[in-house]
Formats: sequence, C-alpha cells, structure tokens
Amino acid sequence: MPSGYDGFKYGADREIYSAAKVKALESLLIEKGIITGNTVDTILSYFETEMGPFNGAKLVAKAWVDPAFKARLLADCNAACAEMDFPPGMSGAEGEHMRIVENTPEVHNVIVCTLCSCYPWPTLGLPPYWFKDPTFRARVVREPRVVLKEFGVELDDSVEVRVWDSSAQIRWWVLPMRPAGTEGMSEAQLASLLTPEAMMGVATVTVNR
Amino acid sequence: MKIQHNLGGIEGLASINYETLVFVEPWEKRIFGIHTAMMALSNHLNTSEPPYPIEQVPTTFKSFWTWGHLRKGAEAMNPFDYFRFRYYEKWLGGISGFFVEEGYITQEELDTRTAQFLEDSAKAAAPLPSGGNPAIDAQVEQYLRQGDSPKRPYAGTPKFKVGDKVRVKDIYPVDHTRLPGQLRNTVATVALVYEGAYTYFFPTVDGIGTPMPVYSLVWEPDAIWAAELVEPNSSYYNDIFEVYLEAA
Repeated sequence: MPSGYDGFKYGADREIYSAAKVKALESLLIEKGIITGNTVDTILSYFETEMGPFNGAKLVAKAWVDPAFKARLLADCNAACAEMDFPPGMSGAEGEHMRIVENTPEVHNVIVCTLCSCYPWPTLGLPPYWFKDPTFRARVVREPRVVLKEFGVELDDSVEVRVWDSSAQIRWWVLPMRPAGTEGMSEAQLASLLTPEAMMGVATVTVNR
Repeated sequence: MKIQHNLGGIEGLASINYETLVFVEPWEKRIFGIHTAMMALSNHLNTSEPPYPIEQVPTTFKSFWTWGHLRKGAEAMNPFDYFRFRYYEKWLGGISGFFVEEGYITQEELDTRTAQFLEDSAKAAAPLPSGGNPAIDAQVEQYLRQGDSPKRPYAGTPKFKVGDKVRVKDIYPVDHTRLPGQLRNTVATVALVYEGAYTYFFPTVDGIGTPMPVYSLVWEPDAIWAAELVEPNSSYYNDIFEVYLEAA
C-alpha cells in the first residue's frame, strides 16, 4: 500500500522477497549470537501486551473523570503515568520525555514528526502507517485543516489549530475532548472509546464508532 | 540538499494513506524487532542515561546503533526511493546493509539464504533457529523499560527566555540533522524553555550532540510558507536545539 503517488512500479514478488530477506537476516543474526531465537518475539510481545494505546486510553479516561489528575497529567505526563498501575517502563524507550496537550472547544492539537516518526511508545505503542507516511508529514504542517478534513475532522474557523512537530526530545500526544452522552460511563467504558488517532489529534472521540 | 530534510509543506502531494495498522505485512514485525534489539545492545549504552553494563552482555553485537544511525541512512536515500518504499522496507534495506558493512554477515550469505527461502517453501516456513543466551534478552527488556534519555544536567544559562524572538540559523545540514529545512532563516517565539540540557546520540556536522538547552518554539505559519499557502487561525510548534538559533 504505497502512499500518495502510485505511479511507482513494484515487482509482484515485493512482499515475498522482503519476507525471505528478513527471515534470512534474522536467522543469521541468531546463528551468529547477535540476538537469540526469542529476542524479536520478546520485543513484539512487550508492545502487544504492556506498552500500547491501551495505556494512553486509561490515562485519558481518568483525566476525563478526575480534574485534579487531568491537571497533573497536563503538567507532567511521566509523573502522572507513575501514579497508575502500569507495568514498569512508562518512562522507558521513546517515553523518556512525554507531554500531552489538551483539545478544547477553542484549540485543536495535532501531532507530527516531519523528520522521522517520533511517537510516545509507552502511552500509544508503535506508530500507525498514516503517521509514518511522508505525505502526511509533508502536508499536515502547512495545511492542517485540509488534512484533518480528509481524516473526517471538520473544525470551525473559530477553532485554533496547533501543529506540534517533534524534532527533539519530547514525544507529544493529545488529550481529546470527552464526547457528549458519556456522562454515566465508567473509566473502562470511556477508555474503550479511544483510538490512537484521537490521541494524536487526527480523529475525534465518538460514542458509536 | 535532501528532500528528507525538507518535507514540511511540499505542495502538490496526493491524499494521505489513512492506514491505521502499525504493520501491514507480518515480515515488517521482524525488522522492527531487529532494529529495536540493535538499539538495546548498542555499544554506547555504558555511557547512556541510565548506563547499562553493556560490555557484560553476551552478544556478539559490538557496534553503535541508535535512531540517529537509522535516520541518517534514510536521509541518505535516493529521494524517489524514500517516497517509493514503505516505511519498513527502508528499514530492511538500511539495517541489512549495516550488518554487511560492519562485517557481521556477508552479502553473499544474506543473498544465498534469501534465495533458499524464495526457492524452497518448506525452508521458508520452517521455524527460526532457537536458543541463545537469555542474558541478551534480559538486556533488551531492561533497555525497553529504562530507555536512553538525552537529558543531561546543565550548569549554564539558556541564551533565550519565554517570549523572546529567535531566528533559526541558515545551516546546511550535510548528512544528518534535527532541524527541518523549512525552518531555516525563519523567526519564531520562545514558548517554553525545557529544563536541563539535551544531547544527541552522536555529534552532527550541524552542531548537536553535546548537552544544550532545547526550546519549544511557536511560528506564525506565514513566517515559514507563503501567506497564500497557509491556513488562518493556526500555529506551528517545534522543539529546537539551541545551537540552531540566534537572537532575532
């Protein structure tokens, strides 16, 4: 699935070749003692079970029901993570310095990394393809409203759009607005409404998705 | 000039591929894992923050490998290939090339084994080799949980304060940079001075890699792009190393 310009031609064996090459590489690295037979699976399991968007969703849901926690999360994301019952590692790889910005009726935030794909791993896991797409990175910084509209987010002209680009240490993410009609929901129910896209500012949170 | 350093604001691009998957092919997970293991076993981790007892880890990997190395490789690509190849295809090319250049494997070994998997579906479907020293995986897990922070103490005083106008220097980035090209020679306002100082994995020709202040800067978009190309009621923020800035 190439992005943007699809005039490039690819061989029909594109995926088969890459699958064979990466397996060749991994098997050689195991045989030569660089990694073990479990290393890659250990890493993948870490992101499937311990560090993923389910952590960010819990933080946002708690912030929606607890204004004092929300204030602490906005002031110091890493410290707020340490209050939660999360696995060790919330200030680990790609989460050493995280910050969250709040969407309000007046301000909508969207996150990008024009130089690469910096992303807050402990709270959101690994970046989805749209975030890594050079077309997204090139376009959202200059025409965020047009891009957000393509993603299904229509903003009134009165809403200020803030684009947060990540060229140094901070890994940014977004505290989305709580949707109407969720007043009686538990934190777990609220967390289930959240997506990585909402927590990077390219989607809004809806009750019936 | 590299297009990879100058993506921000390019005109005439098509719509964005709104693919929400992290991996679109199963093989992509494997190269992600290999890269992350390399970062977790990199020889610089005895001087990182926190430091790790990396010399004692029983891996044969003895090289320096960080995000900076992966990015530098991607920035060196033919720009058409940069757009043409999918994210993890670029990683696979860069990382397999690194293992060959560093002498851990030969190109012939890699090509021969790749060909075997392509020709023999039984071999291609067979499990990977098992075993290896579990202390390697223990180090990988420690790295994931503790990270590799660029933050360092700073005894000096940051040159700029909140509200100051600053100009981004017009620096030629050479091979690797953390300064997006669209920002060169533009004026921004300091929104925040981050506490402490921040280093980079290695020194770059354009000046980062020693501990220095970093600022959250905010731009009016028409300070970067032509007024007719930007949208009303929007602002652009970025975190910029002090060496890239001068008083406006």
